[in-house]
Amino acid sequence: MEGLSSWRNVLSSSRTKQAYAGYVREWESRIGAFLEFDPDRSLPGGQSRGGTRGASSHPLEGIPFAAKDNIAVEGFSLTCASRMLEGLASPYTATAVSRLQATGAVVVGKTNLDEFGMGSSTDTSALGRTSNPWDRSRVPGGSSGGSAAAVAAGLVPFALGSDTGGSIRQPAAFCGVYGLKPTYGVVSRYGLVAYASSLEGIGVVAESTCIARLVFETMRGLDPLDHSSVEHQPSGESPSPLRVGVLGGLSELSDGVEGVYREAIKTLRELGMTVSEIELKTLDYVVPAYYTIATAEASANLARFNGIRYGHRPVHAENPEQLVQSARDEGFGEEVKLRILLGTYVLRSGFQDQYYVRAQRVRTAIRNELAAAFAGVDVLLMPVFPTAAFKRGEEGLTPFQQKLADKFTATANLAGVPGLAFPAGAVDGLPIGLQFLAPAFEEERLFRAAERFAEAVPIQHPAGYSAEWRR
Amino acid sequence: MTRGGGVGNLPEVDTKELYTTASLAQLELTEQEAERLAAAVGQMLEYFSKMREIDVEGLEPTTHALLKTNRVREDVVVESALADALLENAPEREDRFIVIPNVL
Repeated sequence: MEGLSSWRNVLSSSRTKQAYAGYVREWESRIGAFLEFDPDRSLPGGQSRGGTRGASSHPLEGIPFAAKDNIAVEGFSLTCASRMLEGLASPYTATAVSRLQATGAVVVGKTNLDEFGMGSSTDTSALGRTSNPWDRSRVPGGSSGGSAAAVAAGLVPFALGSDTGGSIRQPAAFCGVYGLKPTYGVVSRYGLVAYASSLEGIGVVAESTCIARLVFETMRGLDPLDHSSVEHQPSGESPSPLRVGVLGGLSELSDGVEGVYREAIKTLRELGMTVSEIELKTLDYVVPAYYTIATAEASANLARFNGIRYGHRPVHAENPEQLVQSARDEGFGEEVKLRILLGTYVLRSGFQDQYYVRAQRVRTAIRNELAAAFAGVDVLLMPVFPTAAFKRGEEGLTPFQQKLADKFTATANLAGVPGLAFPAGAVDGLPIGLQFLAPAFEEERLFRAAERFAEAVPIQHPAGYSAEWRR
Repeated sequence: MTRGGGVGNLPEVDTKELYTTASLAQLELTEQEAERLAAAVGQMLEYFSKMREIDVEGLEPTTHALLKTNRVREDVVVESALADALLENAPEREDRFIVIPNVL
């Protein structure tokens, strides 16, 4: 397959591996995308468990890839970028990963993330700092920031991430690469450390739509180990020309993002697609509903981390209660504590109807409105984030502003529909991504729309990106 | 907790409420942490109150994105070889027992 062929022999000899390690080392001293990188880590588990696909070689055979460090890969750590799980050896491999390993693809490392996937900058990681390959003073986005930065710098052709409220699409947009959040349940969550179970899923960051499609098709499908997994059931329709719904009022976007959005609409028209304006009245309620539900689920999911069976344990504790409290106090960072507290609060007796149940009913309203929109269009074109990659520190966005900015991405998670972020242009030396959303199971529409768009606006690479070393 | 759920009645969180919530979540907070987190939690709760504006009369709550029915598996024994690898990660262990401080 085009785009993957130059990667095929990277791991085939010590000479090529040396060139690979050298290229990665040079970038890593600047961006820190990986928490662990080792192209030599043997993978008897993956190969023997998955079996082989017969004599003919699979297009992914021998291809290196990375996984976000909240996705289990036997032979590597599983830290979730938290002190709570620092040094934890993953006892098993996620289904999504083992399906890729079964084709002969090779995990070469684990990428940095916001602690437990909670953040939009990768800055809440307790174990490392990741910078944007386009501008080191800026964040790579998050929470799958390490995966997006690694792909953008050309360290791997694709990397797995997880998306609970935009955690694949937003960093992909910030780093100028493709990021797919599949339909809920289509890719097994077995081996993904749970944050907000009804919203999240494993997806892929890739340097092209054809790689994203291939990885998605390899990972997906029913898994007996994930009760919420579903069979991929596309309609089989292939609408042409594509009817694209676009948003009218865009008051909250930065000038750069708004300009790219308007330009993209023009491009889609020129490519022969039909464009019509739609209104999503529920968009203003996406963020409160999303954070109510996500934090409620997080408070339950993160209750398991208590320092007893695995994970951080305090040096001294008088009794079991103190052991658990100290383990959690020392092990969790502030953003994680904030979300656990919020989630616990909205689930407290007396507040459930006011917050949690109301949020779930708002979620129904959002799903209904999106379903109504898809009755008239095949895909929606949406911004991913109101700004390009922001600076870290004072000049950047506060944690609260970052949360408000999740409105365009969390919509897809609340509705369970797929979304694909794609590079749509660059302003002032920074990439700007937009996203297509489609009805459940219609990922193929997303790939087709983004492929057509790339004919007019090809992907750009940051300075220092090179494919020469693997030729 | 005296807070009502009426429109226009913005939630606020004092540190006492925060400590009660923290204890439910088995979190131990330092004073400084409690102060910062009380402000952040209060800010988010105030923002959540925006959900009161939208009419959700007659709408069922969505608990799962796509799952419409419960799915059960065959009731059969399945081998799993994970036990030893899981025990390897225990912070303190004697043979196959995980050690914690005295309960009594």
